[in-house]
Amino acid sequence: MSTGVGMETSIGAAASGKRRPAVPSDPIDAYVAALADSLRGPSRTKSRLVAEIRDGLDDAVSAHTRAGVPYERAAELAVRDFGSPDHLAPTFQYELTIAQARRTARAAALTVPLAVACWLLIWTASHDTATWQLPRTTSLLTVHLVAVAAVASVLAAATLAATGRLARWLPTPHRLPLAVAWTGTAASIAMAIAALVLVTLSVVVTNWPLAVAAGALAAASHAVVASSARTCRQCARLPVN
Amino acid sequence: MRGHLDGLLLAVLEPGPLHGYAIIAAVQQRSGGALELRTGTIYPALQRLERLGLLKSSWDSVGERRRRCYELTEAGRRSLAHERNAWQEFTTAIGSVLNPTTPSTGLAT
Repeated sequence: MSTGVGMETSIGAAASGKRRPAVPSDPIDAYVAALADSLRGPSRTKSRLVAEIRDGLDDAVSAHTRAGVPYERAAELAVRDFGSPDHLAPTFQYELTIAQARRTARAAALTVPLAVACWLLIWTASHDTATWQLPRTTSLLTVHLVAVAAVASVLAAATLAATGRLARWLPTPHRLPLAVAWTGTAASIAMAIAALVLVTLSVVVTNWPLAVAAGALAAASHAVVASSARTCRQCARLPVN
Repeated sequence: MRGHLDGLLLAVLEPGPLHGYAIIAAVQQRSGGALELRTGTIYPALQRLERLGLLKSSWDSVGERRRRCYELTEAGRRSLAHERNAWQEFTTAIGSVLNPTTPSTGLAT
């Protein structure tokens, strides 16, 4: 019964926010909604986890009803045995936070070839005309972008290794998801700057379609990494155990 | 109990693939009902074991339903063997302290 009270509290909190989802009348629906509402992470991973939770509860209810227990009581028992959403959420969130950190790491790692491509384009642009030379500040900016991308790449590789098979033997640093989130944020800002620089340069370089294309690619990379890093920051703020 | 959850999950999956609720039922059945799991805790544990490469999973048909089924990988089998050895050594050590049926050797000198 205590689980039911905890569940109503969580649903009430969710309903008091800006979004006001309809409170499901079925106890299993209500339980799954309360747990899902408290979790953040990659949408596919979260959907799979929530589907498995739902399947597990349905199987538990079926087992009770086959033994002659009425549905309402069977649902109550299934939810009680599963554990309260408040108690379980940090355990579920840990796996989702790690999954989001890995997703952000992969997205950030993609910025390296893009940054190198940008550098090559700008370097080429500075030599393709005798009358126009690339400003020195732009060269320094490019070196800075490559450095940010290189750091993001190294941290991304380390994250994927440390949260994958290596985690059988090595503990995962507690602050790793937060570090990945902010590195991803820095990489996304670097990509936004690269996009602006490339689009600006397209006015003066002879091979302007390539510069525009590279700028569009950098802008798309910024959008992907920024979105993933934002979710990663949200995940890193939630309690885990 | 939580420290042994990985070993329990690997052990009940040794005979073949199972879905979430069947894993819970198998643990309870093997323990004769003595081990009471908060059933919700096994789902993140299964995801973690999959991330570590000890399990693999897929959506399979179970009767008329579709369920996420888990099975051991080769690394999972090796990990289970390691867990068994470690548990055997642990219980032997504790057992020899609790039930000293044979005199200890090597300490009298």
